[in-house]
Amino acid sequence: MGDGRAGASNRPAWLQQYDLIGKIGEGTYGLVFLARLKPTHPQAAGRRGSPIAIKKFKQSKEGDGVSPTAIREIMLLREINHENVVKLVNVHINHADMSLYLAFDYAEHDLYEVIRHHREKLNLAINQYTVKSLLWQLLNGLNYLHSNWIIHRDLKPSNILVMGEGEEHGIIKIADFGLARIYQAPLKPLSDNGVVVTIWYRAPELLLGAKHYTSAVDMWAVGCIFAELLTLKPLFQGVEAKATPNPFQLDQLDKIFKVLGHPTVEKWPTLANLPCWQNDQQHIQGHKYENTGLHTIVHLPQKGPAFDLLSRMLEYDPRKRITAAQALEHEYFRMDPLPGRNALIPSQPGEKIVAYPIRPVDTSTDFEGTTSLQPTQLPSGNAPPGGQPVPRQLPRQMQQQAMGGMPRMPAGANMGAFGAAPQAGMVGLNPGNIPMQRGAGGQAHPHQLRRKADQQGMGMQNPGYPQQKRRF
Amino acid sequence: MAANFWASSHSKQQLDPEEVDVVPAADRERGITTEEFRLVKIHMSSHIWRLAQQVKVRQRVIATAITYFRRVYTRKSMTEYDPRLVAPACLYLASKVEESTVQARLLVFYIKKMCGPDDKYRFEIKDILEMEMKLLEALDYYLVVYHPYRPLLHLLQNAGITDLTQFAWGLVNDTYKMDLILIYPPYMIALACIYIASVLKDKDTTSWFEELRVDMNIVKNISMEILDFYETYKVDPQRGLSDEKISPVMNKLPTKA
Repeated sequence: MGDGRAGASNRPAWLQQYDLIGKIGEGTYGLVFLARLKPTHPQAAGRRGSPIAIKKFKQSKEGDGVSPTAIREIMLLREINHENVVKLVNVHINHADMSLYLAFDYAEHDLYEVIRHHREKLNLAINQYTVKSLLWQLLNGLNYLHSNWIIHRDLKPSNILVMGEGEEHGIIKIADFGLARIYQAPLKPLSDNGVVVTIWYRAPELLLGAKHYTSAVDMWAVGCIFAELLTLKPLFQGVEAKATPNPFQLDQLDKIFKVLGHPTVEKWPTLANLPCWQNDQQHIQGHKYENTGLHTIVHLPQKGPAFDLLSRMLEYDPRKRITAAQALEHEYFRMDPLPGRNALIPSQPGEKIVAYPIRPVDTSTDFEGTTSLQPTQLPSGNAPPGGQPVPRQLPRQMQQQAMGGMPRMPAGANMGAFGAAPQAGMVGLNPGNIPMQRGAGGQAHPHQLRRKADQQGMGMQNPGYPQQKRRF
Repeated sequence: MAANFWASSHSKQQLDPEEVDVVPAADRERGITTEEFRLVKIHMSSHIWRLAQQVKVRQRVIATAITYFRRVYTRKSMTEYDPRLVAPACLYLASKVEESTVQARLLVFYIKKMCGPDDKYRFEIKDILEMEMKLLEALDYYLVVYHPYRPLLHLLQNAGITDLTQFAWGLVNDTYKMDLILIYPPYMIALACIYIASVLKDKDTTSWFEELRVDMNIVKNISMEILDFYETYKVDPQRGLSDEKISPVMNKLPTKA
């Protein structure tokens, strides 16, 4: 992978293999950039100018070296290879400022933006074929991870990327492995890691203080995402009780109970052993919701396969919850419309193609995250990637600036999380390089997360899609 | 990966026995022989072990650290990568990978305590952090390592000789004084340790081994290597190799500027 040694100049040689386009995301862990492999680069053969998302990790707290999040992500992604999981293309190190860069194949979309586009711009449900194909591919990637003893632990729409136009158009890539674990490693509670994860997709056993993770936590998240694809709204929008070392999240549990009814020890025997269930009888066991209203929220017939699959994913007892492998075999995926490889093509001949927005790119930021250069060189939010209004010299200029002065990253920057804040809605320029904040309240989307991408060959190792009729 | 050794980067990086004892050109120029190259690796493996006892990490972390250490020197020279620094940096990186992070300042503290006035071993936090990044590069960012411990327990149970666990476990620990982990699949190393343990403790495992249908030649070869090692080298658990043996070799290596 990348050779971090400096060449004749004091900028690392690896940097010269990319044309930097701009910044596409930002988070506590660092920044994400969009770049292209220069056509002269050997790896660019056959993939001329393919877009690459480069995730830059800031140095973590003084004296802590490479962030454990980055280590985890490198360790796992270097071993795995699946069509529905992001592909780590390269790792680079800049020894001068001790920063680490992960290069992924770029994905133009993610489920957060796809859902948002339907909700806010189109005001139209996502078509059934697309929902089913997205869900099938998500399960397919997850089944691969789980059968390799990897739990993702932070599945949510913004971590599920969808490839833009090209060879892999409409293919899902599960991303952000900063919290993922191999089962055999001891799984510490999230709070022990000092990591804050959005609670909307968190399984009830975790909210009630379960000490051990199982792959079932990922399946709960898939259930939440399935419902969100159907309704365009997060299923359980709890308000997070911050600053508590306790995993117990009363409001989130209340939101779940309201929809699914109260869990009972009869249906979920190990419930009785969960610390927060035992300790907080008054609040959680206090008032009871009897009627379950899931089907009215997702507008699905209660007897239909889609509802059956969804309710098996949202099964309270993690031991009874459907597994990814079982879900792939579910009747829902065997009936029309059948899922396909490109989830974003129209489901019926003649149906209108949905033009999903592309990621806004802030071309005024260099690899150092320092705002620089002519602020007039802004991207128009929706220019096609090929037509980025960036003159050829610009990236090089940025690189020189970036690597020449080499301002150090501020020490003591918090490296807790791993995703970048979405920059959607931001129009290019961010003069003060102020981290973009979005949606702090309970109503707004709490994922301050995202970005980065991936892909990989044509996924020949895949078991293939589950039906006779393919939609390639 | 985690479920399948054969699909792992560890498996793909396995080397032939001849490949692990190649002294890098820069070290050869300093007069380091194959035997001396091996001595440094033995001594520094023991150094990692002792340091790990101080900071109290699990066996697995130590094993991963030593594997990194040995893997680095199939690619880099000791002249360029000072083993006195690479050793603690490997432990540091391994502790992160195995989810039981040890702080760099603790390592620095215990190295001082262990090595006393010898300032060839003295490093700052900054040195360890810089080396951590160089290690990531040298390891080509492949960090997942498999070990014989898990298969060992499983196999002992299967053979119905769990009373040999402690003895066989100790043998597995000692295999990290060699480069076996870079050459053989971990379960074969585990089998070799079971083989030695059962022979020395008079347990008849012949029919059990037969039923396993593994290549007994490989199991026996590994066993012979382990026994040879015990005959050839005396490694003091508290001090590593004796001073007379290791000092002249370490003195051939450059020290930090």
